Amino acid sequence: MTDNSLKMTARDVSVWYGDKQAINNVSIDIATEHVTAFIGPSGCGKSTFLRTLNRMNDTIASCKVGGKIELDGSDIYDPKMDVVQLRARVGMVFQKPNPFPKSIYENVAYGPRIHGLTKTKAELDALVEKYLTRAGLWNEVKDRLHESGTALSGGQQQRLCIARAIAVSPEVILMDEPCSALDPIATAKIEELIDELRGRYAIVMVTHNMQQAARVSQRTAFFHLGTMVEYGATSEIFQNPRETQTKDYITGRYG
Amino acid sequence: MNSELAARAPTNWVSTEMTSRIAKRYAAERRFRLIGLFAVSLSAAFLAFLLYSMLAKGFAGLSLSFLTNSDATEASEVGIWGAFKGSLLTMIVTLGLAFPIGVLSAVYLEEYAPRNRWTDMIEVSINNLAAVPSIIFGLLGLAVFLNFMNLPRSAPLVGGMTLALMTMPVIVISGRNAIKSVPPSIRDAALGVGASRVQVVFHHVLPLALPGILTGTIIGMARALGETAPLLMIGMRAFIATPPTGITAPSSVLPVQIFLWSDEVDRAFIEKTSAAIIVLLVFLLAMNGLAIYLRNRFEQHW
Repeated sequence: MTDNSLKMTARDVSVWYGDKQAINNVSIDIATEHVTAFIGPSGCGKSTFLRTLNRMNDTIASCKVGGKIELDGSDIYDPKMDVVQLRARVGMVFQKPNPFPKSIYENVAYGPRIHGLTKTKAELDALVEKYLTRAGLWNEVKDRLHESGTALSGGQQQRLCIARAIAVSPEVILMDEPCSALDPIATAKIEELIDELRGRYAIVMVTHNMQQAARVSQRTAFFHLGTMVEYGATSEIFQNPRETQTKDYITGRYG
Repeated sequence: MNSELAARAPTNWVSTEMTSRIAKRYAAERRFRLIGLFAVSLSAAFLAFLLYSMLAKGFAGLSLSFLTNSDATEASEVGIWGAFKGSLLTMIVTLGLAFPIGVLSAVYLEEYAPRNRWTDMIEVSINNLAAVPSIIFGLLGLAVFLNFMNLPRSAPLVGGMTLALMTMPVIVISGRNAIKSVPPSIRDAALGVGASRVQVVFHHVLPLALPGILTGTIIGMARALGETAPLLMIGMRAFIATPPTGITAPSSVLPVQIFLWSDEVDRAFIEKTSAAIIVLLVFLLAMNGLAIYLRNRFEQHW
């Protein structure tokens, strides 16, 4: 990994919920134009760690973060850091599709509108079309843009959420098990989409599905009990893991 | 133990023992349905009796002149318009004060306030406030609004302010529940695209919580509309023969008017009292109808 492709770095990050430590000294580099997958058994802290990357854990009062996380070299936990700007730059797609109970158009237009990214209605229309197209949803919804986003199927809702996330032109997209609530066909579409989006964004995804990690990611981190056991190129992790723990998990011995 | 279990014959579901057990369960269900039906009919019967006796006594008293006149000394000349207008003005003042203050308090307590001993205390106080007898609010209104702030007596302004104190806790409590029931995933979604907390609240949480807030508000308002005791304390029991011209003009309100007429010696007032109750009930019905309409109008489905 060359230095100029480095988007985010985490150094000795620990996370506590009250007295309970959920993450212990995790250090990781996130490269742009790569998909980085976090794998590991349930409760290993991979989702918690993902949420520290755009400070979504700020909403949990008991949550404390130690260590240092940088985005393009600036500390995101610095008190001077603008959280609104951070979350616009580091977007997020959640486990369960969560479109706003508004129209499909409004779902995509909401982000650009609150950030004032467009000046005219025509510009906004063009933006909505562009990102719905990029999310592979335009052809399915172009005739019903003003119907509710919640009326779509689960897979379509998740692609709508991805369109909503990329509509504010983020630099990093965090995905927390984006396919776990979807059927195999919808999952395949999302995976294809992630692969296309890789060229423009740094994508970090949490997944329970190891085949998925192997299919779509270039780099994989294996988490276990709040620590990061191993991090490396996906092919290395899956074919030639250094740690026996990683090997046991990947070959299905636990997890 | 294990050998005992193993030795037991498999359950015979068609034996008389088992079938009579099942029959007993059906019997219990029938009994429960009857008791429930009895409870519902009892309350429905009371309501029917009230409506019947009011309509029987008061229907003759309802006439155009009764609806357009105001209070008078002669039973044949009295009308409800003055009290009706007074109630309307009072409700407007109550709504104008209690709704914004109540909703903002609910938003602050739910979305912003840290959870500590202070906010716990505020929460307990608000819940208590909702249960304080209304006469106490009347005394408070008398002491603060009339004696201390020197606001006009018998006026819808002071009546509305007093009733707003009473209605506000109801709005805060129902508002907090409505805000709490907005799924966290919606907040996450908005925060995730970089909305600020104020934007999350005003663009997403409040619109989704609005039906619940409105329901609570109208329930509180309906209670305030029927309230008599606190208004007696702030002087809204005077004989007022002209409809109020504004919120600072002396005025009567529907429940107080009913209370005053029910006290009259002249038997002709019985009819007028019942007619006034019909007007009050129609007013309440209209408010509840509005509540149901608004709730359905703003309800979001997902």
